[in-house]
This record gives sequence, C-alpha cells and structure tokens, in this order.
Amino acid sequence: MKILAHSYVCPKGVSLNGKQLFDTTGEENPLKSAYQQLGVDYPKFYKMDVLSKMAFIGTEILLPFFPKELDQENDLQLIFANNSASQNTDNLFVESYEQLNKPSPSLFVYTLPNIVTGELCIRHKWYGENCFFVEDAFNPAHFSEWSQIALNKGNNSCLCAWVEAKTNGEQECFLFLLTNSENEEHSIEFELSTLIKQYRNE
Amino acid sequence: MSDLKENLKAQIIEQLNLEDLTPADIRDDAPLFGDDGLGLDSIDALEFIVLLDSNYGIKIADPAEGKEIFHSVNTLADYISKNQ
Repeated sequence: MKILAHSYVCPKGVSLNGKQLFDTTGEENPLKSAYQQLGVDYPKFYKMDVLSKMAFIGTEILLPFFPKELDQENDLQLIFANNSASQNTDNLFVESYEQLNKPSPSLFVYTLPNIVTGELCIRHKWYGENCFFVEDAFNPAHFSEWSQIALNKGNNSCLCAWVEAKTNGEQECFLFLLTNSENEEHSIEFELSTLIKQYRNE
Repeated sequence: MSDLKENLKAQIIEQLNLEDLTPADIRDDAPLFGDDGLGLDSIDALEFIVLLDSNYGIKIADPAEGKEIFHSVNTLADYISKNQ
C-alpha cells in the first residue's frame, strides 16, 4: 500500500503534499476564503457544515492525483473518521430550536458525521462503499487495516480522512489517497503519523 | 408588492445561505427549484416553510401546496399578500 497524495485543511490554510496552497491566516471566514481561492463553482458549498466544507476543499485539490484507470463508480472506497462526530452542528441545531425558536432543516441534515462522505459522493458521482468511524484520536493503524481490507476486496483506491471540528473551534481535515503497491519502504502507519505531525507542526 | 419581493429575495439569500447571489440575481419569475432556476432542493423547501412561518406568520397546512407557492418570487409574494 502507498500514499498517492495527501492534503490538509485547517483555519490557517490549505496544503497539498506538504506544501501550502492557500494561506487563510487571520481571515474572518477561512473556509470561504479557501473555497474562493480554489476557483470552483459549486454553490452548495455555502450550505455545507464545517466538516463537509473542509473535506470538499481537501478533496478538490487531490483530484489530479486519482489513478486514471479508476472506475469512479465502483473502485473507490471512502474511509473517514473523527472524534467529535457532528457535535458542532448538533449544538447549532439545538440552539436553532431552543434559543431562536426556529428549528433549521438545513442544519438538521448535517447532524450526522457521515453526511461528509455523502456530499463528496454526490459531488464526484462516486457510488462505491463508504464508512465513517468515531474514535478517540487519529489512528493510523485503523486506517491502514480498513484500507487493506477494501483494497483486498478489489477496490482500486481508498480516500481516507481524519476530519475534525471540535466545539472549542479546533478544526482540521487530513485527507490521503491510498492504493496498492508492491514495494513499501515504510509502513503506512509510520508515514501517516509523520505526516499529520508535520501538518500540525508538532 | 415590489418591496415584499425585494425583502423576500434578501431573506431567501440569508436563510438558504446563497452567499454567491445578490437580490438582483434573482428574477421575479425565475423558477426557484430545478436546474433552470436557483437549483434549490427539498431541504430548501423546508426552509421556505420555516421562513413563511417565522417571518410572515403563515403556516402551510398542506405541504403539497408548496410546489405552486414556492415556484418563484412572484408566486411566493402573491401567496404572502393573500394570506398574511
């Protein structure tokens, strides 16, 4: 297994394969700024929750690295995870009916974390399997194991993401595209651990 | 009536998070749903029901009516002016 490409989205900016593409430091709305710098026309972006917005941006910049032979209808599995599920949006929805007395349907639809994968599948017409796990922390071994299972089942590639929006405002989306490889210089777990530390400046 | 339509356009943009549009971009007679119009979806239709209730005190008893009421800014304004 090998990593074809990876991206990282956070309030400070957007990076692709370790290099910063967009600097959004100090922006009032960093994700809106990143979307506008991306130059993509997809008005539904504005309606998405934070998780979906981050994954949308991180995926758009990964598209050139998808294998050309990929049958997008069948050969791609999405494996996503985070710790807070959709708690950020859950709280906003509760606020919409408890404090504002206006329960918002458009918030309600994002009160499940796996809506993120649905948004991406709609955008890119991906019809393969997808899953979303809620875990204590970023777990490279878990991503590796599930990706290997998916690839062994015949999938060409796996789009994986740790996409997190905590209620304290911390946000990050680490996306990586995995495929099979005969030669592995490093274990995927080690590589993923190293990459996320670099992106987080740890 | 023209004030009502302009207010409606601003409220639609705010309520539905259509951040890349201005009221001038929405024609009075343009379909709001479907690919020919603003491309709104079923969740947006629910937002319209909330908008009519909270901003104009109008409750839509029969959701099937929504298709005609929410067709355009013209039909929305006409319904509000007759039912408020």
